[in-house]
Amino acid sequence: MKTLYVEGDSLLHRLPPRAKLLGLAAAGIALFFFRSIPPLALAALLCAAIYASLGIGLRHSFARLRPIFLTIAVVALFTLLVGSTEEAATVLLRLTSLMLLAAAVTAATGIGDFIDEITLAARPLERIGLVKAADIGLSIGLVIRFVPEILDRYRAIKDAHYARGLKPRILTLAVPLIILTLKNADEIAAAIDARGIRTQK
Amino acid sequence: MITRDLVLAALFAAIIVALGLLPPITLGFIPVPITAQSLGVMLAGVVLGSKRGTAAVLLVLLLAAIGLPVLSGGRGGLAVFAAPTTGYLIGWVFAAFVTGYIAEHFVDRSQTGLVQGVNFFLAALIGGVVVLYAFGITYLALVTGLGFSKAFLGSLAFIPGDCFKAVIAALAGRAVMVGYPLLPQRA
Repeated sequence: MKTLYVEGDSLLHRLPPRAKLLGLAAAGIALFFFRSIPPLALAALLCAAIYASLGIGLRHSFARLRPIFLTIAVVALFTLLVGSTEEAATVLLRLTSLMLLAAAVTAATGIGDFIDEITLAARPLERIGLVKAADIGLSIGLVIRFVPEILDRYRAIKDAHYARGLKPRILTLAVPLIILTLKNADEIAAAIDARGIRTQK
Repeated sequence: MITRDLVLAALFAAIIVALGLLPPITLGFIPVPITAQSLGVMLAGVVLGSKRGTAAVLLVLLLAAIGLPVLSGGRGGLAVFAAPTTGYLIGWVFAAFVTGYIAEHFVDRSQTGLVQGVNFFLAALIGGVVVLYAFGITYLALVTGLGFSKAFLGSLAFIPGDCFKAVIAALAGRAVMVGYPLLPQRA
């Protein structure tokens, strides 16, 4: 799996991850206080400038942002149909700014930094006994490790259908996929415990 | 959480991610192409129950948030949480929880297959459609200022597909329960 992080040495890359995340959250709240078009347009320009400062390139940026921009455009279009032009422009500018800023933070922050921040943020939850902070990194690693395996298994089940002259159906694909995958859980859990990765305090 | 529960949640999260990588399916009678990923959310509740199902969904969202393209169509990063449809992602967590909670309390191994199937269907329908759309539509209405009735109208096209997914989730949930039971029994 390829991450959405982009190598670079821009100002945003060098900022500490916590500052970036808090800044993004603050911007997300602040954007909803502006209701007129000029300040929102200014915000959109500012966010576009921040995104551009990463130096991702126009074509690549377009490919990255297209799916989310499409949903924003559809919603803005729908707002235009049922509401006023001003409302539609507000929605379009506000959500586009937020999308650009969020995408910029994602592109400028590595996965390791994120996991460190999340682990730190989970410490208070650990104190009240809700989760173990170290489990979060472990689980993320497990998912990344098993996605390719599950895709292989999916292809194998599909081939098994063809070999028997059956048409693959979502139900006959999903059930064996789930059972085969989850049956591994005991072995994996035993392996984790045998290595003492989750030490019990 | 014991290690086995943690691993089950992580494996199911990987299944949800894998389902998002499959191309969307178009059904003849519904105009909107459906992705298998939201089916994965219902399945998490139906197969693993409330606690582990919720953990699996949370894990998928966490992976998306830290910049992995794990959502259907290769979406990911913090930008997906800044979209008008973010309410549906938040709703996933509660959808898996409610689906799992109902499945745990109302599906029993001593019931006949038909009763199990119907109860699984109701669990997936209430969790994966009613609860999910409550979050999705509320968020859409608040963020865009559309208002509830219009946001509801805009989401209407996707409801038939999700009801169809609830049927699939019910059938798959029962089949997994027969083949490899994992659902905690609380009824």
